[in-house]
Amino acid sequence: MSLEGKLALVTGSGRGIGRAIALKLASQGVDIIVNFFRHRDSAEQTAKDIEALGVKAEVIRANVGDPAKIDEMFDMIGNKFGRLDILISNAASGVGRPVVDIDVKAWEWTMDINARALLLCAQRAAKLMEGRGGKIVSISSLGSRFVLPNYTIVGVSKAALEALTRYLAIELAPRGICVNVVAASAVETEALKFYFKEGLVKNNRQVTPAGRMVIPEDVANVVAFLCSEEAFMIRGQTIIVDGGTSVGLFTLAGK
Amino acid sequence: MTIEEQIREIIAKITRVDKSIITRESTFKEIKADSLDVVQALVAVEETFGIEIPDEEAQKFQNFGDFVSYVENRVAQEEKV
Ligand SMILES: NC(=O)c1ccc[n+]([C@@H]2O[C@H](COP(=O)([O-])OP(=O)(O)OC[C@H]3O[C@@H](n4cnc5c(N)ncnc54)[C@H](OP(=O)(O)O)[C@@H]3O)[C@@H](O)[C@H]2O)c1
Repeated sequence: MSLEGKLALVTGSGRGIGRAIALKLASQGVDIIVNFFRHRDSAEQTAKDIEALGVKAEVIRANVGDPAKIDEMFDMIGNKFGRLDILISNAASGVGRPVVDIDVKAWEWTMDINARALLLCAQRAAKLMEGRGGKIVSISSLGSRFVLPNYTIVGVSKAALEALTRYLAIELAPRGICVNVVAASAVETEALKFYFKEGLVKNNRQVTPAGRMVIPEDVANVVAFLCSEEAFMIRGQTIIVDGGTSVGLFTLAGK
Repeated sequence: MTIEEQIREIIAKITRVDKSIITRESTFKEIKADSLDVVQALVAVEETFGIEIPDEEAQKFQNFGDFVSYVENRVAQEEKV
């Protein structure tokens, strides 16, 4: 399953799941463009760790919620590399609020970063994949279809992301571009600390049939598979990585 | 407009508070800035002054005055180079 010599852009890959994806792809010989927004130190560290695996790393700052910044990022990739093989749309942000407290600002912020960014990045990436094909994978969560506390805006943005993936998959198929999503249940990262109080995390371990929480590497492994030629016939799908949580919902009574 | 005045305007616009209530001692909470407001203010200030303010630095700001002093220092450094 070698991806030797490919070039990938992983948005939001300075830390968390994005970092794990970047390192996984790098370990398979992929050169990585590390995109970040607020944490430069983490991004530089990730780049160093990528280079230690023997491939190239480039750090680019861009707020993917801002169309002009997405354009600048792709202009830079176009000028410097003239190609792109893999786009991982991982960056996400959000405001945790009950439905009644959601305002337009929080809605737009979240939608722009979590959903619109895939559209704009995919449009630009498709041009850089012209004549060579490519892979586009984005990261979603179970919140796109299940209700989590204070998760409305992010959940809705993830539902949009998954729907958009289906459209991209069909319309980009003639160009040899495979588009899919990986949706995870709660993953042990910084973001999780933000959304869930410690009690929920403990609870989550008990309710995962696989017996432990999902870790960033679990997501990265599936992303890497979707980037391989072995996954060529998987198109527009949302692959769930949750240790069985979502299909085991009715076995949870008493837990 | 001084740097302080420009930042005060940016924040007042984002949080929709009257800018006269924003003093150097005001905390973000007193200005009614939630975490999204703070990020949006940081981004707007970065664009206005052409600087980058990493989160690692922004987290140290206790109040409006810290924010302003940081930007003043950074702008002065940029001018030197
Ligand atoms: N953690 C979970 O439980 C979980 C579960 C399911 C799905 N997911 C999804 O997995 C993905 C990664 O999540 P995570 O847990 O690793 O999140 P995280 O630890 O909060 O990290 C978020 C990442 O996104 C970047 N980012 C945020 N806003 C950005 C913007 N406007 N432009 C560019 N980059 C931006 C951040 O970069 P800076 O630090 O530089 O700002 C950071 O690298 C997200 O799509 C998330 O929704 C997470």
